[in-house]
Amino acid sequence: MSSHSAVTDAELVQRCRAGDQDAWNELVERYSRYVYAIAVRGFRLSDEDAEDVFQDVFTRVYTRLDTLRDDSAFRPWIAQLTRRRCLDAISGGDRELPTEDVVVEEGSADMGEIEEAYAVREALAGLTDTCQDILDRFFAQDQSYRTIASELDIPSGTIASRIARCLGKLRDELEGRNPASGGSRE
Amino acid sequence: MRLEDFLERLSADGLAPGSGSASAIMVAFAARLVAMVANCSRASWEEAPGVVAQAIAISDRAAALARMDAAVWEEALAALRDAEGAIAGDPRSDFKLQQKLDAAAAAPLGIASLGADAVALASLAADHGERTYQADAAAAAALAAGAARAAAHLVRVNLGVRPSDPRLARALASEQAAGELAARLFGAEA
Repeated sequence: MSSHSAVTDAELVQRCRAGDQDAWNELVERYSRYVYAIAVRGFRLSDEDAEDVFQDVFTRVYTRLDTLRDDSAFRPWIAQLTRRRCLDAISGGDRELPTEDVVVEEGSADMGEIEEAYAVREALAGLTDTCQDILDRFFAQDQSYRTIASELDIPSGTIASRIARCLGKLRDELEGRNPASGGSRE
Repeated sequence: MRLEDFLERLSADGLAPGSGSASAIMVAFAARLVAMVANCSRASWEEAPGVVAQAIAISDRAAALARMDAAVWEEALAALRDAEGAIAGDPRSDFKLQQKLDAAAAAPLGIASLGADAVALASLAADHGERTYQADAAAAAALAAGAARAAAHLVRVNLGVRPSDPRLARALASEQAAGELAARLFGAEA
């Protein structure tokens, strides 16, 4: 499972401005699924159109990064760029639609799910590798307790309880109650 | 599909749904019972929400396997009928039949595994949930263990599964684990 590094968006943006290619690669890696999800799930674009949007959004990010006023607000900024570009694609022209039109899409169920999925992904990055691994195996890979126990060399009878504790920590991360994610090595 | 419709179709003279789907539904019921026990124990059990999430995931997977089993079982029977009419030893017919039988074995194998997971979760709920709901957790374990046993049997009798097949070993291991855990629960209640 890919997860975010401990580097914040703001730090990445600052390094990108300084010409750090590794930072740019990480920024693209971090937001590529997000941009694609907005295009495909939020706006139902075809794969081809979504690919065009993807290319265009990251080109704009690259050329307009200096116009971002608050580096910590990168995510809403790229979301805004993506939504606007998606609406351009739907309208079939090169004309950029005004920002007000974008707001309509923000309340849709799919957009909500995308934001939620992204928030979960970010929160997962705050958990230990073991927790990330065990949650990914059970919820994303549909592995049985027996398989997880065997592959991680953990007693089978403890898997369900470990997953429950990891979910508790994930909830804490999502609610912002435990940003340090310290304590147990689960 | 509504429960009444499912039961009606189960008893009809059609091919599917059959015992595989019924076993999967039983696992789903058991998992939802565990979710109920955990939901009712949130005040006293910190891990309860995490158990609810796992129980719902198991239930959802079991429901999907119920649908899958019905579909692949019908296809396997159709392939068996085709094979009877084909020239003996026709490699294309044999290959197609083996593919269908493999698919027909995959569903009950998954159901047996999910049954074992549901029993494990029921055991956790029985140990840590509110005492008032301990009997429900034990009932969930019994239902899931029965389903795991039934599903393992369906793997065993699949014509494409030989006695030395590792899939059979996995199914039997799930059956055994589920049975032992459920028996422990009932032993603790006695």
